[in-house]
Amino acid sequence: MPQYGMVIDLKRCYGCYACVMACKVKNHTPPKIFWARLLKSEQGKFPNTVRQALPVLCMQCDEPSCMEVCPTGATIQLDNGIVIVDKDKCMGCKYCMMGCPYGARYSVDTWESYFPDGLPLSEYEEWAKKYWEEKFGVGVATKCDFCRDLLEEGKLPACVEACSANARTFGDLDDLDSEPSILIRKHRGEVLNPELGNKPKVYYLAPR
Amino acid sequence: MGTAANQKQDKWVPTCCGQCYCMCGIKARVQDGIVTQVEGNPDAPTGRGSICVKGLAAPHLLYDPYRVNYPMKRTNPKKGLGEDPKFVRISWEEALDTITEKLKECQDRDPRGCFFQATTTQASEIRFGVIGFMRGFGTPNYWVSGGGLHCGNGAHFMNGIMHVSWSIIPDFAHCNYALNFGCSKGHGAGHTAVQNATQVADARYRGFKNVVFDPFQSAQASKAHEWVPIRVGTDGALALGLVNSLINEHGIYDAEYLSYKTNSPYLIKPDDGKYMRNPETNLPLVWDLVDNAPKVHNDPSVTRVQYEDQAHEVALEGRYTVGGVECTPAFELLKEHVKKYTPEYVEKITYVPAKTISRIAKEFGEAAEIGSTVTIQTDEGPRKIPRRPVATHFFRGAQGHTNSGWTCLSIDMVNHIVGAADTYGSALGLGGTVMDGYQDENGNKTTGKPYQIPYPCPDGLLTAKAWVYDHVPYPLREPKPPTRLDLHDMFPTSIYNAFTICSPKWFEMLERFEIPYRPDVMINFGSNSVMTMGNAETVTENFLKKFKFIFSFQLYVTEFEEAVADIILPDTCYLERFTPAVSFPSTFSHPQGEDDWGWTIRQPVVQPLYERRDFNQVMIDISERLGIHGKYFKGLNDTVPMRYGGPMEEKNKLIEDGSVVHTWPDVCDRLVRDRFGDEHDLEYFKKRGLITWPKRKEDVYWKWFNPSRVPVYFEYFIESGEKISKLWDHYGGKDFFDFDWSRFKALADWYPCPTHTEEDPEYDMHTFYWRSVIHCNSLTQQNPYLDECAQEDPDTYAVQMHKGTAAEKGISDGDYIWLENPEGHRVKGWVSLSEGIEPHHLAIAAVAGHWGKHLPVAEGKGVFFNDLVEMDLGHTDPLTFNQDICCRVKVYKAE
Repeated sequence: MPQYGMVIDLKRCYGCYACVMACKVKNHTPPKIFWARLLKSEQGKFPNTVRQALPVLCMQCDEPSCMEVCPTGATIQLDNGIVIVDKDKCMGCKYCMMGCPYGARYSVDTWESYFPDGLPLSEYEEWAKKYWEEKFGVGVATKCDFCRDLLEEGKLPACVEACSANARTFGDLDDLDSEPSILIRKHRGEVLNPELGNKPKVYYLAPR
Repeated sequence: MGTAANQKQDKWVPTCCGQCYCMCGIKARVQDGIVTQVEGNPDAPTGRGSICVKGLAAPHLLYDPYRVNYPMKRTNPKKGLGEDPKFVRISWEEALDTITEKLKECQDRDPRGCFFQATTTQASEIRFGVIGFMRGFGTPNYWVSGGGLHCGNGAHFMNGIMHVSWSIIPDFAHCNYALNFGCSKGHGAGHTAVQNATQVADARYRGFKNVVFDPFQSAQASKAHEWVPIRVGTDGALALGLVNSLINEHGIYDAEYLSYKTNSPYLIKPDDGKYMRNPETNLPLVWDLVDNAPKVHNDPSVTRVQYEDQAHEVALEGRYTVGGVECTPAFELLKEHVKKYTPEYVEKITYVPAKTISRIAKEFGEAAEIGSTVTIQTDEGPRKIPRRPVATHFFRGAQGHTNSGWTCLSIDMVNHIVGAADTYGSALGLGGTVMDGYQDENGNKTTGKPYQIPYPCPDGLLTAKAWVYDHVPYPLREPKPPTRLDLHDMFPTSIYNAFTICSPKWFEMLERFEIPYRPDVMINFGSNSVMTMGNAETVTENFLKKFKFIFSFQLYVTEFEEAVADIILPDTCYLERFTPAVSFPSTFSHPQGEDDWGWTIRQPVVQPLYERRDFNQVMIDISERLGIHGKYFKGLNDTVPMRYGGPMEEKNKLIEDGSVVHTWPDVCDRLVRDRFGDEHDLEYFKKRGLITWPKRKEDVYWKWFNPSRVPVYFEYFIESGEKISKLWDHYGGKDFFDFDWSRFKALADWYPCPTHTEEDPEYDMHTFYWRSVIHCNSLTQQNPYLDECAQEDPDTYAVQMHKGTAAEKGISDGDYIWLENPEGHRVKGWVSLSEGIEPHHLAIAAVAGHWGKHLPVAEGKGVFFNDLVEMDLGHTDPLTFNQDICCRVKVYKAE
């Protein structure tokens, strides 16, 4: 069984938000739900300032805290390493949202329109709501699942596919010859907050 | 929606994005009859499988409940900002009846009173409905929202002269060192956004160095090898400093290039600065150093078309006597002229340290590797061409100033000094300047179209064969007594202007300049000119309210419709319409570089929702009602050759005698069949979305295959300026505006903007707007996906202010402030404190700050920067009429 992981190359990434949007539109996430995000930071004094964009998503940890704290067993780690939520088992207690050190879990209590003023949902929103309810559910925890439906079709996760800078590389981390494995070795890829011991499977290559 | 027939349907339809003017090929997914997703189309050279954040957000544009779905009419006769238009729904029949009546009245008074206003976002659609109607109806009056006055009068004009292209972009695939003057190219926005981003990401791994001059540490400056903060509006001074440093300090210039590919060796007379010409042929002369004699510029002994051609050396420096007159090569004049731009002088203007200027000039000059060559495969076999892996580039940021024209030229001049233009690794013209026709799979040129190869004018200078509009950048038109509402006919170095039509003295000027008609009917296609041109009050009161009747094709009720529209027609968006040519004219929107040619179309991914109707079909319908459709179609037949590379075959031409009313899909079908042969009809394009064919290497790197030269010395500006000023004085134009005719001259200079000369110490901050990757123009602000994304971004909706400056002023992060210009116009925004901004500057993103009641997602987000943009001549480049988009402000906390 492959162990899926991702490499995000910060030297390539230029902070364009296409990954954020690709995730939203592929998964039809409701307002304020960003399974993929871009964290922007600034360090240093003018003119020696470093402004950095850091794309984040679920780290698909090998030892996921979210799974540990889940009281109902709704959080499952698949054989391929992807951590998912069984919406039928989730009771919406949000422990996992507290437990995830990477802030990668979201819950939707009610589906709200993207548009203000209480208009009926648009045709697209109606469709998206149905899609979301069937697939991920309302009142339960949700999270990035590496677009596992696309993986089953032999495709790549939406954020990987959308990146015009080719900053994201996806594949089997157990396969030493896979593209991400090679990149991690060659450019000394690192995970975020390794000290937490969650063993994330999203690696980052240095911006410079 | 969701009828039984389309349940469980899941298909991908190839078409073309329309969220900006990049024109990326896309595939739109239709599930159960709903467009749910958009992806890049890997088959399309424009985009190559990627699209940006805006393109991805498409579903919300198509299904936004605030879209205009039915024709509406204004029932409140009062017009102006803040008026409630009280729009009510009407039928299409009523709308078209009223419009036809108003247009007929206008036709009877004087058809030239009809003014077409359009948006740059839908540039591909403009080239049919707008142009066809203007020609059919008989009006020369138009302007394009934001475009031109903000982002192009300077850049497109100068890039057109120097590259026959809309824009310049480094050959990122092979460039090693680029100087980016405050633009987003290669970083997700601007022309060819996504594949440039791919190429730049790859380039970083081969050591590509990118130096960014920008007052704000924008996305591109954040990624840069080196960010050099610069004072806004001084890019031209810096560029001239680099030219001086290259030539006079470091002695670095490409003599071969300058001798054979520019007018550097042309001999200039001392008295009037004009070319010394051969008395018989009237051709400009150069000095042949081998024969020690003057030669006409195109004498075979002194010309090199291809790099390996042999020619005599010609003089770039010295003094040479011809016919008793001591003449000087143009290059020598340039060399002397730029000496005043010493690093120390330029530092005072730009805030860039003298040492940095000198160092960067040296780095750039060395990275150019002058003398290096590369061998490329051409149709005629292998050919050696210069390899110059350096480029300068720029766009709106550098050119939105009162020094626009010369700034654009100066930045590009840095390229030409080292021979880095339209050759391997260098600055390339956007898209395709050179193209010798479609090739089928067997390499046969079946139609000979699209064909566009620039050629030398008699003086040897590069002349466009194809261009985005009829008014080519070179040769300049003869200034003529004005017939247009903006007096444009007099001004050959611009495309349109604001300082006339937005002047409070507009009608007095029309009187004085003997314009016999007045503004009558305005047709608006997608523009929100209340927000996108400049100060809203000025545009509305001085200009828009002068029209008797305004009807508007629009996706939303924008601030423009609220203020002044009488009738709104519900337009289709790009996912609901046909457009037969999107990546063409190629000099406007086709990617540069070695990838294939691709001609993309738009097609309805779903049928238009509600009562929305396609702009281009409705314009044909209106023309039919007016009985001008024959002339409308003739107008299209006539414009095709210049824009799409060659005349239509007789059998494909639209019928001009009025006996046939072509449908819009028929027009589309005829154009694509004419370009690509009958087997490639609209049905073919509907299945594939595009057609592609290989690009020849000699068309990508055409410089050393084309016999044209480009000017480093703008001799012809002198005469043009003399003629314009004479005409201006003839009408007593001085009573209205005091023109600086000295800008019409042969050599580049930097001129200060009002923001640089403001003396009141209270107005102590420079402000300007920049391009956020999340938004394009003003429309995308209403897309809730994009709005949500922009709210995640720390910069897009804020005013960026330096931490130290804020501390001095007692302003804290998140505070609301007013920015007020010396004319008393002010805008409000919240502050985001940063160290990534030059301390004298305030940076603002995009055209934001909507207040329209019908744009509730956009309403109140971001800052309406354009309200600070003054529309008078003092804030206009006298050469190109580009507007000044930087200004001095005082800031104070808002309650």
